[in-house]
Amino acid sequence: MVVVQHKVTAIIKNMITPIDPSLLRLLHLVSPSLPIGAFTYSQGLEWAVECDWVKNEAQLLEWIGHLLENSLAQLEIPLLARLYQARDTQDKQAFKDWTYYLLASRETQELRQEERNRGRALASLLPELGIPISTDILPVLKSCQLSGFVYAAQYWHIPLSIAAAGYLWSWLEAIVLAGVKIIPLGQSAGQRILANLSPNIPEIVKCGLQLTDDKIGASCPAQILASSLHETQYTRIYRS
Amino acid sequence: MATVPPNSGWSAKLRLGFRRSPHKTLLAERHRQGPLAVQKALYPEGDVCHVYLLHPPGGVAGGDQLHVQAHLAAHTSALITTPGAAKFYRSVGPWAEQTQYLSVDNGCLEWLPQENIFFPQAKAKLTTEVHLNQNARFIGWEINCLGRPVIQESFGAGKAIFQFRLYKDGLPLLLERLPVLDNTMLNGVANLRGQPVFASLYATPTDDKMLHIARATLPEQYKNQCAITCVDEVLIARYLGNSTEIARQLFVKIWTALRPLVLKREACVPRIWLT
Repeated sequence: MVVVQHKVTAIIKNMITPIDPSLLRLLHLVSPSLPIGAFTYSQGLEWAVECDWVKNEAQLLEWIGHLLENSLAQLEIPLLARLYQARDTQDKQAFKDWTYYLLASRETQELRQEERNRGRALASLLPELGIPISTDILPVLKSCQLSGFVYAAQYWHIPLSIAAAGYLWSWLEAIVLAGVKIIPLGQSAGQRILANLSPNIPEIVKCGLQLTDDKIGASCPAQILASSLHETQYTRIYRS
Repeated sequence: MATVPPNSGWSAKLRLGFRRSPHKTLLAERHRQGPLAVQKALYPEGDVCHVYLLHPPGGVAGGDQLHVQAHLAAHTSALITTPGAAKFYRSVGPWAEQTQYLSVDNGCLEWLPQENIFFPQAKAKLTTEVHLNQNARFIGWEINCLGRPVIQESFGAGKAIFQFRLYKDGLPLLLERLPVLDNTMLNGVANLRGQPVFASLYATPTDDKMLHIARATLPEQYKNQCAITCVDEVLIARYLGNSTEIARQLFVKIWTALRPLVLKREACVPRIWLT
């Protein structure tokens, strides 16, 4: 017994590597417990379920997969990179311009409100987490959740690709949970979708970070229609 | 066919400038280069200048480059439309490009072209950029049809990129980009869902009252195909379905309801739409 114990200890010793504190910061930033309302928005999915566009696990997987490959990969990720660079180089004008760009790319009232509401919540939370916000940048952060996320990620030295992957994961987790509740599906169906789509995240990050300015933006027309129609949906639980 | 060199298409440019005279808006400037033209300005409702844009070759082929630019000076009102659908033909390789750059200084612009039809295997990039300054007012639409659904012809392996950008006093108010490059975009459940026709109508400035009025024009039977939202000062109606005719009918209803509120004028249907 004693010999075995010594052996295990030696193996573990070899595995002790330095932990980058930024990893824990990222876990905090993408945690569902962060009070910015991630689980109160469905981004049109609630209406898509109501009108039978998304009825089962396979369709939910397809719906979310398309959003990941289009708007997330081709809008959020390249903008996340540009915002990050603007913070890194302390270019306040560029940070503001790309924030406006993202907001103008939100194509429905509810999607724009969601960005602003979550931006406001995150902006008021960041000082509590020890991140100082200057008065000139506060209104920018209050208008856009992605900008607040980037502001924190850059402040905590979370590397860009890792921050982008974390952003996608937290979006994915929230939208899958929304789908599971709305359709409804069992918890294991949701876990299967997460397991199915999360391996795509590294490639999506890579593609998104390489996009040139002229290729930014990729709508999902049915999602946009669903999001507009959700604004007048009679019975609804989600805010978008 | 195999010997057609890339970028061998037509290049056409048209620049229009509108100015105010004491009693009406004049089409004061028109520079053309290549096959793009306008007929003489019409005044079916007094001071508003109605203009029909013409593209005499009748269709756009791979490699063609069309650029339309229109500028409205202060206190002008213009309505621009086209006499028929624009057709984008099959391409053996090169992309066709159509760019529309519209700027309005404190005037009213209506941009109401008839539909764009994209033939199977077409390759086209369409960009419309609208710059509004001060109290400029704008109603515009774009109606797109991929393939020819009336004869059950699909877009096939065609590719198209659609961009619409709206700026107010230099700041972006709405930025849209839709790349249709593969089957996933054509048929995906969150994308075009196999529907060949998609269209958008934009009106600004707007408010909640106009949003309600516009929504009230939509017949119940199209409630899953047409949706209206309002982002900041812009009302957007979107259609996703299988008929350019229905898209157009719905948009004419919305335009008729909104014109008195956005532009302070009753609707005046251009005669060319009725022919």
